[in-house]
Amino acid sequence: MGSSANKPKLIIDGKRTDGRDFTETRKIKIIASPLKNADGSAYIEWGNNKILAAVHGPREATPRHLSDPTKAIIKCRYSMAPFSSLSEHGRSGPNRRAIEISKVIKEVFENVVMVNDFPGSEIAIFIEVLQGDGGTRAAGITAASVALASAGIHMRDLPYAVSVGRIDDRITLDFNMIEDNYSDSDMPIAVAPRNNEILLLQMDGGMTKKQMSDALKMAIEAGKEISDVQRAALKKAYSTEMK
Amino acid sequence: MRGEIVTPGEIVADNKIRMHNAFSQNGKTYSSVLGIKDERTNEIVSLEGVWDPRPEDSVVGIVSEDRGKVYIIDLSYFGRAILVPGKYEKYELNPGDIINAIIKDIEGKKTVVLKDARVLKGGTILSIKPKKIPRIIGKKSTMIRQIAEATGSHIVVGMNGLIWLSGGNMQLATETLLKIEREAHLSGLTETIKNFLDEKK
Repeated sequence: MGSSANKPKLIIDGKRTDGRDFTETRKIKIIASPLKNADGSAYIEWGNNKILAAVHGPREATPRHLSDPTKAIIKCRYSMAPFSSLSEHGRSGPNRRAIEISKVIKEVFENVVMVNDFPGSEIAIFIEVLQGDGGTRAAGITAASVALASAGIHMRDLPYAVSVGRIDDRITLDFNMIEDNYSDSDMPIAVAPRNNEILLLQMDGGMTKKQMSDALKMAIEAGKEISDVQRAALKKAYSTEMK
Repeated sequence: MRGEIVTPGEIVADNKIRMHNAFSQNGKTYSSVLGIKDERTNEIVSLEGVWDPRPEDSVVGIVSEDRGKVYIIDLSYFGRAILVPGKYEKYELNPGDIINAIIKDIEGKKTVVLKDARVLKGGTILSIKPKKIPRIIGKKSTMIRQIAEATGSHIVVGMNGLIWLSGGNMQLATETLLKIEREAHLSGLTETIKNFLDEKK
């Protein structure tokens, strides 16, 4: 998006623009099942990102010819609300970017949902970005896995996602919008925390082999906290103190 | 139902054991659902999700199609449900009729075959999350009997999540059933409902 010609300074006096440390994520808050009519749902606030994820299903697959008698099919729709960020988003249905993100998110969950338990059905995941500030696909995946769990869908794990990248020579965790636009490299990854399987890995820009392995380590380290937030949100929604 | 809440991928046992709603990998057992790990029975009871049909379950459904020899029944379930009259049985069902039936068999993991159907005349249908139905019935049907006695309604509970109500104080019965659905994961529910019914009566 940004060009290197008018690149703003992203590291000032060894600190990031928003004062965070290089290995620090933004503040994450998740609420499990805020929506009543969806089978499962989650709301996430990840820094300035505000995202709603909802799940319908397992329900009868439509259209019928897409259904698979041996397993459930997963559908995913990622969309940015017209008011979420730049006005070019969400104005006239899905754009190229939204279709791509929907596809990769679908593939993340095809690997963790026990699709064989619900033959012939479909599981629909909806991710609505209400306010975007960089790393929406990572926040979307993190919210969607909470939504899937709150819908009672059988899963092997509760995946999370986080973006990690490079500003000059520094490996940096969880980019916000300005860092996302002008960084040298940006890599969202989704991980299944149980055995640290990587479910999604995309990258803009480039990294050396050493930087890449450092980045992965940093993401997995940060993922422990994200996982804790996810599980705590699910437990809170069902604990006795809440009601 | 007491125990801690477990989430998908969380370790529930350090050895390989067979458990409902769990799976084993590399000698450890993990939960596959959001549920409560029951301390006494060592089972994971899932908190949400679709109905898992089992033979001999009693269900409530709506006849959606009459195909001559078989009836297609809507059980609000992702699979198909059919009612095939036996050799000496004869049903006269019309689309829209509400029936109560027993599951005879489940074919190929998703087609539910019903038997022993009876028509429920009049009344209304209430839809409840299927995972909350065991709480609505209660241990040895104590809960549902308590509601039926207090409200005077005729209540038929289907394991698939549909409940048929007729007569009596239906308003109170519906309110009570929805209250159980909301508070199904809390303990001491029979007592709470008893007080609730006494108060409202």
